[in-house]
Amino acid sequence: MTDAAAPKSLLVQDTRTRRRNTAEARFQAYGIVAISISLGMLAIMLWTIFSDGVSAFRQTTFSFPVTLEAERLDPNGNRNRDEMAKVTTIGYTNLLNASLKAHLEVRGISFEGVDDKGIAAFISRDTPARVRDMVLANPAMIGQTVTVSGFTTGRIDGYFKGRVTRETAAVDTNISAAQLDLADRLAEAGIMRTGFNWQFFTNPDASDQRPEAAGLGVAIIGSAYMMILVAIFVLPIGVAASIYLEEFAPKNRWTDLIEVNISNLAAVPSIVFGILGLAVFINFAAFPQSSPLVGALVLTLMTLPTIIIATRAAIRAVPPSIRDAALGVGASKMQMVFHHVLPLAAPGILTGTILGLASALGETAPLLLIGMVAFVANYPAGPFEGGFLDPASALPVQVYSWASRADPAFIERSSGAIIVLLAFLLVMNILAIVLRRRFERRW
Amino acid sequence: MNDMRLTERAVNAEHTKIAARGVQVHYGQTHALKDVDVDILDHTVTAFIGPSGCGKSTFLRCLNRMNDTISVCKVTGDIRLDGEDIYDRRIDPVQLRAKVGMVFQKPNPFPKSIYDNVAYGPRIHGLARSKADLDGIVESSLRRAALWNEVKDRLAAPGTGLSGGQQQRLCIARAVATSPEVLLMDEPCSALDPIATAQVEELIDELRANFSVVIVTHSMQQAARVSQRTAFFHLGHLVEYGDTTQIFTKPKDPRTESYITGRIG
Repeated sequence: MTDAAAPKSLLVQDTRTRRRNTAEARFQAYGIVAISISLGMLAIMLWTIFSDGVSAFRQTTFSFPVTLEAERLDPNGNRNRDEMAKVTTIGYTNLLNASLKAHLEVRGISFEGVDDKGIAAFISRDTPARVRDMVLANPAMIGQTVTVSGFTTGRIDGYFKGRVTRETAAVDTNISAAQLDLADRLAEAGIMRTGFNWQFFTNPDASDQRPEAAGLGVAIIGSAYMMILVAIFVLPIGVAASIYLEEFAPKNRWTDLIEVNISNLAAVPSIVFGILGLAVFINFAAFPQSSPLVGALVLTLMTLPTIIIATRAAIRAVPPSIRDAALGVGASKMQMVFHHVLPLAAPGILTGTILGLASALGETAPLLLIGMVAFVANYPAGPFEGGFLDPASALPVQVYSWASRADPAFIERSSGAIIVLLAFLLVMNILAIVLRRRFERRW
Repeated sequence: MNDMRLTERAVNAEHTKIAARGVQVHYGQTHALKDVDVDILDHTVTAFIGPSGCGKSTFLRCLNRMNDTISVCKVTGDIRLDGEDIYDRRIDPVQLRAKVGMVFQKPNPFPKSIYDNVAYGPRIHGLARSKADLDGIVESSLRRAALWNEVKDRLAAPGTGLSGGQQQRLCIARAVATSPEVLLMDEPCSALDPIATAQVEELIDELRANFSVVIVTHSMQQAARVSQRTAFFHLGHLVEYGDTTQIFTKPKDPRTESYITGRIG
């Protein structure tokens, strides 16, 4: 027996095996690197959004007593609403500014180095308008002393949340170090405090001058309305189309053409659907602009191909043996589909639909074209009072419009709106998983 | 047990249930079945044997028009059930399939309860007037399929949770629940172990009392054990058709002899 013929030990790897194992290890390393990169990117994205946006959920407010002086607010003394309405918000602004200054004097809080304009910069322009509405609604309040509370302006608010510091204030002509000193003293005196910003969820959008008052109320309602309508439109149309194409349609040149077109439609840029919606629903059908109905129709067109593809895949995944079994006992095609195929495909259909809805929820481009990026300060009516036709905004559109405004307080809100949008998406995805589990658990 | 044991061949009815004449089947360009003539007798077990791809399953699926679901499949010729052409324009395949039940190669119970599996056919055909009626049909069908004693305490359990042999017997119960006149079985035992196979074979013999049974099988022993008549298919042709005893002991065609002795196939 020679060395060459000696059987090789299994304990020693030969060259081929070693090379094969190295290749496999290398491949696994590529995979781990790819996953780490994407996780890293995700972490960076979330960190950016949260570090910028979490402060949107906190807001500094003030409260101090204001005497609603009759000579300022009702010069004629008639308590007549129409005459009182002649006093504009400027009159109320002056009253609030004077009251704050007087209150500082009473409390003995020094406002050294801060002029009247500087004091006025503490009170959001949102507040005078609110006080005016309150007084006009109840003229009997005139002459009383009431506690007025409201938002502080974006920069003072930013100081309490760390966005504005003494270093940035030094280069910012809109705010001075003396104002920040005063802000500290006001916070100490309990006139200003920072708390959870409920109004961020309920307030409508606000103009450029008062970012502190801007909220997501209209956008949340608009998005919710659109999702309801999209679900109502897309589920029956998508499922019916899929069933027909998958189970009933003859396989010929026409159905092939339709199939190719559905796949192509799924890849059409969403803004194209916006142009289509503008042409068909607004210019031709004359539905009101900026309304959730038009938004929902456009998003329906956009999500339909995706949902049809997902539904067809779910229907195709039902084993053919079940179809044979149903036909074999004499079920009609329709009975086969509705008694056996659909229940088995339901989890897949639901998951596809909810993921399609989620992508519609985050869609911005088509909504820009049908006027949903407009500044909407009024809430749409309830769903049964024609609210689907009232102008509304939508969450992603609100993100877009805030991000394009100059004031840093809007940028903060923009990130805050993204967090809300992500929360909505998370809820929908969890819903998809829960529904899937529930339907699958049956068998 | 002698595998080649030939059961009692008493064919007690000579009434022809299904008569096929000149049946041709094309799958697109492929000519799958060429000019098949068969008379299937009532109250008889008829076995179709032959190598894979010889067209026996295709022919079986012609008998209850299951081939309709395959869009490229084209059937010509004449198949008559009790004298009526089942490919007539006026025939609804759904009604036909209620008369000609089918059991498939792989057990395919619905993902529903055992009860609902059996009750599904009677329900959609409106065979039961009341809940008690339906309960009766379910029980008698399960008894006929020799499954009642095993499942009577868990009718609400999923049919997919049964063992393979039980599932196949459940499928047989489901098929007999609609009171068909003919029962087609496409290799019903190919997914079963020998014990389950024996149970199903015994069952087939009992079913003969009420139905005309047509069974496709790969196993010649099985054909010999359960059938009274045997048809041998080869390359799309019906080579030989006759009494099982005659086919297995004195085949007329040399191809049949080669197949049953294991030389081709």
